[in-house]
Amino acid sequence: MSHLKLTGIRKSFGKVDVIEDVNLDISSKEFVVFVGPSGCGKSTLLRMIAGLEEISAGELFIDGSLMNNVDASKRGIAMVFQSYALYPHMTVKENMGFALKYAGAKKDEIIDRVAEVAKVLELDQLLDRKPKDLSGGQRQRVAIGRAIVRHPDVFLFDEPLSNLDAELRVQMRIEIARLHKELQTTIIYVTHDQVEAMTLADKIVVLKDGKIEQVGAPLSLYDDPVNQFVAGFIGSPKMNFLPARVEDGLLYLEHYEGQFINLPKLSESLKNGTKVVVGIRPEHFSNSGGSSLSLKVEIVEHLGGETYAYASNGNAELITIAMGANRNISSGEEIEARFDTENALLFDNFGARIR
Amino acid sequence: MTLFDRVQRAMVYVLLSLAAFVSIFPFFWMIVGSTNTSADIIRGKASFGDQLLINIVNFLASVDLFSVLFNSTFIAVTTTFFTLVVSSLAGYGFEMFRSAFRERVFAVLLLMLSIPFAAIMVPLFVMMARMGMINTYSAIILPTISSIFIIFYFRQSTKAFPGELRDAARIDGLNEWQIFFRIYIPVMRSTYAAATIIVFMANWNNYLWPLIVLQTNEMKTITLVISSLASAYYPDFGLVMVGTILATLPTLVVFFVLQRLFVEGMVGSIK
Repeated sequence: MSHLKLTGIRKSFGKVDVIEDVNLDISSKEFVVFVGPSGCGKSTLLRMIAGLEEISAGELFIDGSLMNNVDASKRGIAMVFQSYALYPHMTVKENMGFALKYAGAKKDEIIDRVAEVAKVLELDQLLDRKPKDLSGGQRQRVAIGRAIVRHPDVFLFDEPLSNLDAELRVQMRIEIARLHKELQTTIIYVTHDQVEAMTLADKIVVLKDGKIEQVGAPLSLYDDPVNQFVAGFIGSPKMNFLPARVEDGLLYLEHYEGQFINLPKLSESLKNGTKVVVGIRPEHFSNSGGSSLSLKVEIVEHLGGETYAYASNGNAELITIAMGANRNISSGEEIEARFDTENALLFDNFGARIR
Repeated sequence: MTLFDRVQRAMVYVLLSLAAFVSIFPFFWMIVGSTNTSADIIRGKASFGDQLLINIVNFLASVDLFSVLFNSTFIAVTTTFFTLVVSSLAGYGFEMFRSAFRERVFAVLLLMLSIPFAAIMVPLFVMMARMGMINTYSAIILPTISSIFIIFYFRQSTKAFPGELRDAARIDGLNEWQIFFRIYIPVMRSTYAAATIIVFMANWNNYLWPLIVLQTNEMKTITLVISSLASAYYPDFGLVMVGTILATLPTLVVFFVLQRLFVEGMVGSIK
């Protein structure tokens, strides 16, 4: 059970800063997900916590102990890698017990712990196989098992589900959530998939260009993003953004000629001519609401339980509209997409939220 | 299949047959020659004779086979072992450890590949003579254990070694040496197999350098002995062919034992 504290963490490769001044508190037993686009530094940050990358500046504490110069194997962590990183020349059993062997554990203890974890992960029939004889899902379970066997204080997962197919990914996601409940251990999990982040995390850390954009519970990030990047990154399908201008207490939608909508409730008043971006989530469109957009449906995605329409007025980018289980919509149809401006979010020219 | 396709295919078969003939004929000639007298071989007799046993007995009478095979085997095996250890460590190091000078040092090493052995032969001999190593195994082994080509080969192959395996091993508590010996070597076994064949064959067949530094009969390798048999005043080519077969066998054994891994190693696969 471990508490992590990162203060002023930086990582530079030559003159390039890949991680800039990261400050973060991770409580014991918390499931924290680092999320962000490719190249945002989330894996680098995880590797710094693991001890696989040097920390250029700042301090990393695990349970109050400074870990900057502590060897990776002595940090009380275990890591699950994207490519599983199973030793190909060893059997499942040897892979799982390898770290214990190097830690000096007795043979009987290694056998017992491997057997115990193998049973939990349903790997007991596969213990004598080599990794090449396993399926992707089985390999991933072995990789997780190898981490569990060590009884670490902190689990680190580096995009562990990226190499799995969609069905297996959902299955393993549930498995990881179940494991967290059972093991009650601190988990730091890196992904670029915001669905994984939303479903697994107690706390999400959104990163961009090596900096933390926002930290919070999944739904608080969804409902109350601090900026346009987080608003766009969290949520699938992503939030719609409409450029607008303030005119006489109303919002003039620049790509919808002559169309005004009400301003949402704000604590500050905006000057005439202020350029803003209006953010509307796809599910906030409905048949009712004080504002509307006249759109023509271009593409329809019927997922069975949910239908998404991608529509535009010809001048602007496609707007994504969640239409519930509506099966009667088809492309080419003209629609009035209504919404309530109270559900809309406003961002300034730099992407910061206007509240 | 059109006429053009048939002609094209026929030409491919003719060319391949020709290449196969060129490759196989020396072996055929060697085996047939070992069963004939020297006079028959000179006459160009291309059928099996009845002189095999006589040639073998004569060969054993004129050559101290045990000592010759021991010399060749000791030199080839020791050199192969040390070349693989030294060159794979260097290749691993060049690929795994970042340094501002890494590429420059490597480029200089590669440049040295273009220097022919003939150019360094004399200085190398002088060096060995000053170190008192002439006519010793060390004189053969030491100059060859750091092979630039094999370093290059291992560096290229190491590019396919998954970095996450090294990370996993570090988290499991292994230091760099343990990672190299416990993880890298077993994972890269096909690369080692391919390198073993290349290095072993090169050293088993090595002729020029042993000819210069090995000066007594007790130290001579099989290539030197075959060469001296062939360059005698009245060479007995039957003996030469028997010797050549004996010299070829170990390389064939090494190749066939490591054949499967050799193919994997040449295509750079890691399973």
